[in-house]
Amino acid sequence: MRLLRNLGRRKVRTTLTILGITIGIWALVVFGSMANKINSLVAGGSQFYDGKVTVSAKGAGMGFGSPVALSAADRIARLDGVDVVVPGVSMLMSDGMSGVSMGMPQMIRGEVAGADRGRETFPMAYASGRALTPADEGANVTVLGSDIARQHDTRVGDTIMLRGEPFLVVGILEPTLTAPDTTAIVPLAAGQRLYVGTLPALVAAELDPATTVSGFTIYPQAGADPEAIADEIRAAAPDLEPMTGKDFDSQIGSATSILNSILVGIALISLAVGGLSVINTMAMSVAERTREIGIKRAIGGGRLRIVRELVTESALIGFLGGALGLALGAALVTVVNEAGRASGTVLFQLTAGTAFTAVAFSTLLGALAGLMPAVHAARLDPVTALRYE
Amino acid sequence: MTSTTLLEGRNLRKTYRLGRRTTVEALRGVDVRIQHGEMVAIMGPSGSGKSTLMHILGLLHAPDLNHGPRPELSFGGQDMVTLGEGERTKIRARQMGFVFQDFNLVPTLTAIENVMLACDYAGMPSSAAKSMAVEALGLVGLADRADHRPAELSGGEQQRVAIARALVNKPSLILADEPTGNLDSERSAEVLGLLRSFNREHGQTFILVTHDPEVAEACDRVVRMRDGRIRDQSLAALAQPMDQASRAAVA
Repeated sequence: MRLLRNLGRRKVRTTLTILGITIGIWALVVFGSMANKINSLVAGGSQFYDGKVTVSAKGAGMGFGSPVALSAADRIARLDGVDVVVPGVSMLMSDGMSGVSMGMPQMIRGEVAGADRGRETFPMAYASGRALTPADEGANVTVLGSDIARQHDTRVGDTIMLRGEPFLVVGILEPTLTAPDTTAIVPLAAGQRLYVGTLPALVAAELDPATTVSGFTIYPQAGADPEAIADEIRAAAPDLEPMTGKDFDSQIGSATSILNSILVGIALISLAVGGLSVINTMAMSVAERTREIGIKRAIGGGRLRIVRELVTESALIGFLGGALGLALGAALVTVVNEAGRASGTVLFQLTAGTAFTAVAFSTLLGALAGLMPAVHAARLDPVTALRYE
Repeated sequence: MTSTTLLEGRNLRKTYRLGRRTTVEALRGVDVRIQHGEMVAIMGPSGSGKSTLMHILGLLHAPDLNHGPRPELSFGGQDMVTLGEGERTKIRARQMGFVFQDFNLVPTLTAIENVMLACDYAGMPSSAAKSMAVEALGLVGLADRADHRPAELSGGEQQRVAIARALVNKPSLILADEPTGNLDSERSAEVLGLLRSFNREHGQTFILVTHDPEVAEACDRVVRMRDGRIRDQSLAALAQPMDQASRAAVA
């Protein structure tokens, strides 16, 4: 209460200072949430690609593009250290979507359910419905990622059009914050048919959908190094491009860490400005209260007490600015995410950690900014301070 | 009046540095002794060193150690010269009370909070502080103004709050720098009567720095200062005729 009264002495100045911190924390929350989203996509990808080798045709990026003959699976299976080879097809859900949009592109993925023989460790939970089974082969059924289901407002039992064919939705996944959210999973045969349909007509005419895939997922034997298998594939099949978790981390991870530091850097600069304005406010407030500090020192207020009172006050400025910045940032993040959800573009991810860090950081910043003027105040000679006009 | 010594200073000197070359010798060697339960006025023209003496006796400043004979200062039998700032602050908080000319209350705090601040600094738990503060405000006749801010109180009332703040910890020594300097004669008499009654009833020792002969007259003893030295220390009963005599001499 006394603290608030002290802040209320110069309402305009205190408000402006709090707003300065607010802007900084707002930027930190918004940019931090953006960085979180990117990080979780990357972390999800990193987890997704970890412990296995993903193979696609050379020149294609991330598992979709040029066709590969299903027979290559036999060649790969014979390599040292290979345990299971799962053929699959991946394609963009529609050609109109380029890779320009933020977040993951929407994909159709075709695989024989259970072909990984239990080796896939990436956790998938079902919000409703069921998983695909080998018995689904040949049928037009699908399991949808959470973003796709939300965007198309689809429930289990509904029918969804995928590349011009109707598919019955049998299951919907829980959000994973990474690739599966924007993926529609279909049985391999249906996937192969859709996939060949995406290829240029001249190429497609040469291919039998039943023997055409877009890549393989290779699970190594226990103790085998995915990197070594990738090297073997490079040597044995020059037309194929293997990718391991390590490749993913080095390609994507380094790019995102630069982006992250830019985003967080912008936020920190605005916070530094906010911090300086707290120093300014506290210095002025100490100067105005010189007499009062003199009284307190004279009647027995110790130096530490004076420092503590002033630092608490500036920490409160920091806290209020941080809380307000967090509230405004969270509001923006929520509004933009809700608006973007319809188009499947969720830009931000505001975590409890980011929220807590933002407020804790601004409080600490306020306290540190107040420390210098507070120490100056505590060192004032009480008699001189009492005579200060 | 008891005859035990509460406060004793010897060879008290203080030189203030105003600029790079300008210094002011505010105290040029003062010996002073204050007895328990005394009410002493320190008088003198401005620049005579009376406030400096009060600041040293009130442990707000330390006497100079770097020139002249070594100063001595004892309070309640304890040596004060060698104490650090933290220990002096603690003694100010627990054993001394201060009243200043400009009332000097914290403007954002209510009357009772101002009084409680002194309890807080003396290390008293806040529940005890509250009842002590209520009692102290009652003694100065301001029980009903406890929740008013200084700006809502008259000058006389503010000074009485300051007195309550100085008295709340029941200190053995109260130092007052021109306590009636900004009050009209009626309020002056009221404040002075209050101080005198605490001195009589509770045996607390008072040191008052003042210009006002009426204030000095109400005290047991007057210490007169000029040019950083004590000119004479007389009983108040003798002060008045001597004062008149010296005025006559000047005229």
